[in-house]
Amino acid sequence: MTEDRADYLASASGHEPADAERLDLVRDVLSREATWAEAPPEVADRLFASIQSGRPPVTATPTRKPSRWLAPVAAVLGLAAIVAVVVGITGVLSSADERVVAIGGTELHPEATGRAAIRETDSGWWIQLDISDLPPAEEGTYYEGWVWNDDGDGVSIGTFHLRGGDESVALWSGVDPSSYPAIWVTLEDEDGDPGASERIVMWGRP
Amino acid sequence: MDRDLLDRFRTGDESAVKAVYERFRGPVFAISMTVLHDRGLAADASQQTFMKAWQAASTYDPERELGPWIYAIARRTAIDIYRKQMRSVVSDEVDSTSPPPALDTIWEVFEVRAALDRLSDEERQVIKLSHFDGLTHVEIAEHMDIPLGTVKSRSHRAHQKLLELLKHLEET
Repeated sequence: MTEDRADYLASASGHEPADAERLDLVRDVLSREATWAEAPPEVADRLFASIQSGRPPVTATPTRKPSRWLAPVAAVLGLAAIVAVVVGITGVLSSADERVVAIGGTELHPEATGRAAIRETDSGWWIQLDISDLPPAEEGTYYEGWVWNDDGDGVSIGTFHLRGGDESVALWSGVDPSSYPAIWVTLEDEDGDPGASERIVMWGRP
Repeated sequence: MDRDLLDRFRTGDESAVKAVYERFRGPVFAISMTVLHDRGLAADASQQTFMKAWQAASTYDPERELGPWIYAIARRTAIDIYRKQMRSVVSDEVDSTSPPPALDTIWEVFEVRAALDRLSDEERQVIKLSHFDGLTHVEIAEHMDIPLGTVKSRSHRAHQKLLELLKHLEET
């Protein structure tokens, strides 16, 4: 080792043994090319273009628990969708063994409204989506339901297309929706990609 | 990051998302490169990471630190792309015989890069020339065309700041 190199290491380690040990922990990381890599500018361009084209609903609205009489009335009259619009995007209705989460359209389909009824069964969680004003998925595309947790993990709960005019869709979740509270519907291309696309068309959360 | 910005991020506010992107684009791209070894794939992983973060922003708890939340999304996104590449029949992008890096390594890269991004440009340059390019203080002085004493003091200061920012790594 040259004198200058030794001098450098002494300086770099801050003269304190504890500092030298800490530096040893990260010396390998500092020597990696990846550590210093810079994202190309088109990442930001594409990201913010995507964000501007598909803004999800505002979610800062505090969770709203309707009064007891509202749940059965809303279930009968389909008022959940109206509740979703009135409160912004989401509202929550509850019954003994079924939870109902209102879902609303994003900027891609702001007119879309709906509700997700969630019921636990021996096989998993049955989730029925009743959707209004979401157009059928075009050929070559389909809709996909997701539940999403607070760590950013999404689990698919099934796919559908709405081309038959029936806007009631039965989906299944193998994970507990109370741990994956956000419900999404995305528009997907038939391209074999199992991940969620960036085109969220509906969204809701208790 | 201040609480107001985190609250706005949670609502999907675009200016807040931009601020979060600026803060974490370096660490996210660094771990994407660490996992994928390809700039194109890492760029895709970075874009997907921030898109997912924006989509899931309402699930973020502002009481918790944002860095580990972004990190979890970024790591999972990069590894998902890595696995997808592994499944492809022909892959020139990734060495199909190599496993993804250990989780500890990915976390260290994220934290170290986040700390580096909090140094001044001059401090970061000294650290890079020292550790990545392997230059001595004399060589750094020649490279930057500054006095040797300045290099030494700047290097000392930069290392002290970096180590202070990375104190928690030793504890974990």
